[in-house]
This record gives sequence, C-alpha cells and structure tokens, in this order.
Amino acid sequence: MGKIPPSFRSAIGNPNLRNPSSLFRLETPSPSKPSKKPRPQKPPKQAPPPPLFKSPNLEDAKSLFDSIAAATSSDPRLPNSLLHSYAAPPLLLPRPLHLPHPPLPLLPLPLPLPLPLPHPPNPKPHALRRPPPDAATADIAVRALCSASRLDHAVELLQELASKHCPPDTYTFNHLVKHLCKSRSLSSVYAFIDEMRDKFAVKPDLVTYTILIDNVCNSKNLREATRLVSVLHREGFKPDCFLYNTIMKGYCALSRGGEAVEVYNKMKEEGVEPDLVTYNTLIFGLSKSGRVAEARKLLRVMAEKGYFPDEVTYTSLMNGMCRKGDALAALALLGEMEAKGCRPNECTYNTLLHGLCKARLLEKAMEFYGVIREGGMMLDMASYATFVRALCRDGRVAEAYEVFDYAVDSKSLTDVAAYSTLESTLKWLRKAKEQGLALSTQIADLPQEHGVCFLLSAIKDVKVSCKA
Amino acid sequence: MLHQHMKKAITDNPKKLANLIDLVNLPSTVREFVGQSQISRLGCFKCVWSYIKTNNLQDSNNKNLVNCDEKLKSIMLGKPQIDLAELPALIKMHFPKEPK
Repeated sequence: MGKIPPSFRSAIGNPNLRNPSSLFRLETPSPSKPSKKPRPQKPPKQAPPPPLFKSPNLEDAKSLFDSIAAATSSDPRLPNSLLHSYAAPPLLLPRPLHLPHPPLPLLPLPLPLPLPLPHPPNPKPHALRRPPPDAATADIAVRALCSASRLDHAVELLQELASKHCPPDTYTFNHLVKHLCKSRSLSSVYAFIDEMRDKFAVKPDLVTYTILIDNVCNSKNLREATRLVSVLHREGFKPDCFLYNTIMKGYCALSRGGEAVEVYNKMKEEGVEPDLVTYNTLIFGLSKSGRVAEARKLLRVMAEKGYFPDEVTYTSLMNGMCRKGDALAALALLGEMEAKGCRPNECTYNTLLHGLCKARLLEKAMEFYGVIREGGMMLDMASYATFVRALCRDGRVAEAYEVFDYAVDSKSLTDVAAYSTLESTLKWLRKAKEQGLALSTQIADLPQEHGVCFLLSAIKDVKVSCKA
Repeated sequence: MLHQHMKKAITDNPKKLANLIDLVNLPSTVREFVGQSQISRLGCFKCVWSYIKTNNLQDSNNKNLVNCDEKLKSIMLGKPQIDLAELPALIKMHFPKEPK
C-alpha cells in the first residue's frame, strides 16, 4: 500500500479553515474532512509519485489520471483528488486552463471554471462507470470557489449537487455560511440557510449558530445575537464553551465587561467548563472596560483551574494597565511574565510602546522600540502614531523620521498611512507651537519635568515669532 | 485625542488620499531634482528624504536640521538650512491645490 499522496492530505488540512485570530479563537468546524473517513482500500495502481499533484504541471497529473482511470475501478477519490489539484491556489487567479476534453467529462464539475459557470456538465460519468460526485467533491469545490470569492457559484453548485446527488455535509455547509457572512447581508444569509433547510433538509447546527452569532457580534448587533441564542435554545441545542466565548467576545468588543462577566457566571451555572480562551476573553474585556483589578484576580483563578496565562492574557492585562495610564505596572507585569517563562510577542511590545508613549516615558519607549527593531517585528498603527507624536513633541523629529523609515521598510504600514501620520503630526506640532495659549492648557496636565521643557521651548518659540 | 481623528481621516478620505498619491506634472525646478516629469507628493517626499540620507545632509550636531546642498536648495525656496519638521510643508508648496 502506498502512502497517502500529499494532495489528499492537504484536503484534510485546508488552510481556509484556520482562523487567523489568535486572540479569540472562534471554533472552526474541526476540519475532519471526508478524507479522514475510513476509506475503502485503494487500488495499488493509484499511488502516484507523491509530488505529482503538488507540481504546477497539471498536464502530467491529467495524463496519469487518464491512464489510471482507464484501468481502474470507480473510486470516488480519484476525480476528487484531481479536482483538488485544480483547485490549488494557482488556479484561483483565473488562469486559463484549457483542458482537452477526454478527461473532463468525468470530472463531475466544470472545474477548469469557464467563467460564467454553466450547469455542471451532467453526469455522463454514470454512463462511463465514473463515480458520481460525493460530499467530498462538493466540499473541495465549494472551498475552492469560496477562496476565489465566487460565492454565487459556490451556492449554486452546492444546491445543484444537493438536488442531484447527495446533501452537503455540515462542514461544507458551515464553511459556506462563514464566507457568506463575511460579504453578504445578514438577511441573505438567513435566506440561504432557510432554503437549505426547506429544500435539502440541511439543518443548521451549533457551529452554524456560533458562526452567525460571531458575525452579528462583530457587527456590534448584540440584540440579534441574543435573539439567535434564544432560537438556539428553542432548537434544542445546548451552548458549548465556544459559543459562550463568542458571546463574551461580542460584549468585550463593546467594552461591556459587566455583561461579559454575567455570561461567564451563566456558563459556570450551566456547568460548562471555561477554557483558556474564555479567560483570555474575559481578561481582555475587563481590561478594556477599565476593571484591571478584577482582571488581575482572574489571573489567579485561571491558574487554579490549571490554565496558564499565555502571552495573550498578559498582553490584554498590560493593555488595560496602559489604558489607565499605569505603564509602570505594565512594565512590572512584563517582568513577571518573563520570569514565568512566557515570551512576549509583537503585540506585547506594541502595547507597551504605546502605553509608555502615552505615559510620557519616552526613554523606556525607545528601549522597546529597539527590541522591536532588533526582532524585525512590525509596528502597529496605534503605537506607530503615538510614538511618532511623542518623538516630535519632544523635538526629536529626526528620530521620528527614522521610525517612519522603519515602519515602511518593515512593511508594518503602507507608505501612505505612515507618511500621512508623520505629516499630520508635524502639522499639529507647528500649530501647537504657534498657539502658545493652547499649549499652556496642555502643559497643565503634563507630568514631571517634560512639562517644563515643553514650556521653555514654547516660550522660546513665542519669542522668536515676536521678533519676526 | 485630536490626533486620532486626523489619522483616520486621511487614509479614509479619498480626496486627501488622491492628493497624496496622484501623479502631478512638475514645475521645471522639481523636475530637474527628481529626474521625472511627473511624481506624487508622497513620491516626492520619499525622493527628497532619501536624497538627504544618501548625501548625508543632516547636520551632525542637530539631526533635525538639514544643510541643503545646491541641488536641494533649488527646491527648498533657496534656504541654506531647513528643519526636518517643515519638510512636508515645503514639499507641499510644489503641489498646489488645483483650482476648481
């Protein structure tokens, strides 16, 4: 028995399923794709040299496929794997792929994707003892179409396949729903779900609801989220940890830490065990709504439950401290974090840089900027803008220019964003200098000796402008 | 706080963005400096700033100041020395608003 060719394996670990956000992991339907199901035995002839499908040379794959197809029985995986190869990224740029005809009809799908998607060339396959498309076929095609942003086609295809062959499995369905949520109106997503339920008996499951709730939370529509939760109860689903995390995230995004705590308490009442993401979300939410002390307490609670705070936890907490203007506490926390063997990441440094600039601890901020530079890390927009402003205000314009260069070279920001920030900061600086009066109010809340320096330089400027 | 608004406004505002990245026909002085007949305001800034860096024109005592050489002086209103803080404003002068 040959081993599984790589093309099958990549069908399992489809990158589209991964959620990029590490801060809040929305559960993704575990990508156990059809390929994981126990399979019938493979005919030995079928094991092609592994690298084949990964090579850009699809012609080779096709001719090999032909020869195999001619000789072998109907194994549904075969067309699927070829399909998967076609669906591999290069195709997504609609590169014209002209396939000669013989092998094509046996692909149950118009996968070389002639532009306006016609009806899938209909199952001649049966006549030719070709395997009919199955759920795996639908899954691969729908994912490919989704990642090429051709959602209309994906919907059309899914429904066509569902009506003619077999209903899609929940993974495919949920994947499509997730993509629809991103670019369509909520009502059209609901319409799609209803249609699937009425026509093909594909029912939304807990994951579908979680996706929907996440989506409405992201658009800050918490009323709809609450409604969805009640629908979900009516349908007889019991919310799981992921769902609670998603709802909490919704509240946190709106800085409503209180409600997030309520969700957390409800979760405990229902006997759902919180996980690391729950705690991270909660700490983030509390920090964001200024309840740092409570967030800090949670750190101990989670340790008791056996979850070790990670860099996300610490960074959220530091963020909260910096919001309160207590950058020194955030620095102390950094020490504590490193002592526990937790490595700060890019986001941590950016948070600290931002906080230190706000707290006017420019020297410390310079230090962290040095660390960021050395590690080749990116600057985010907020910390870049604050840092540039702090430098300019301190009369260190040349260094601000240098930060501008770094932001552009490291591709942290587009040059437009970086330059417009720099330009507007310098404009603001000039105006601030011109308006000595506006300054004096600002100086009132400047702490320490910076205020005095600023005052002196302002006075000097006023004198100069008087002379002129 | 004021700043937060500004930073968002510029990249979101299509007019201001266009103002920054649209190619503009250059007056002869600037044309000679950049070696192109058209450039955007952003491109011009980057060009001048890299010219300053490659020719080491920053004052060694105060990096915020730039001692202009003849070539740079020609597009900086003939000033012998400029402050980096005023550089964007000086460049902007070569990109007048188009009359409606």
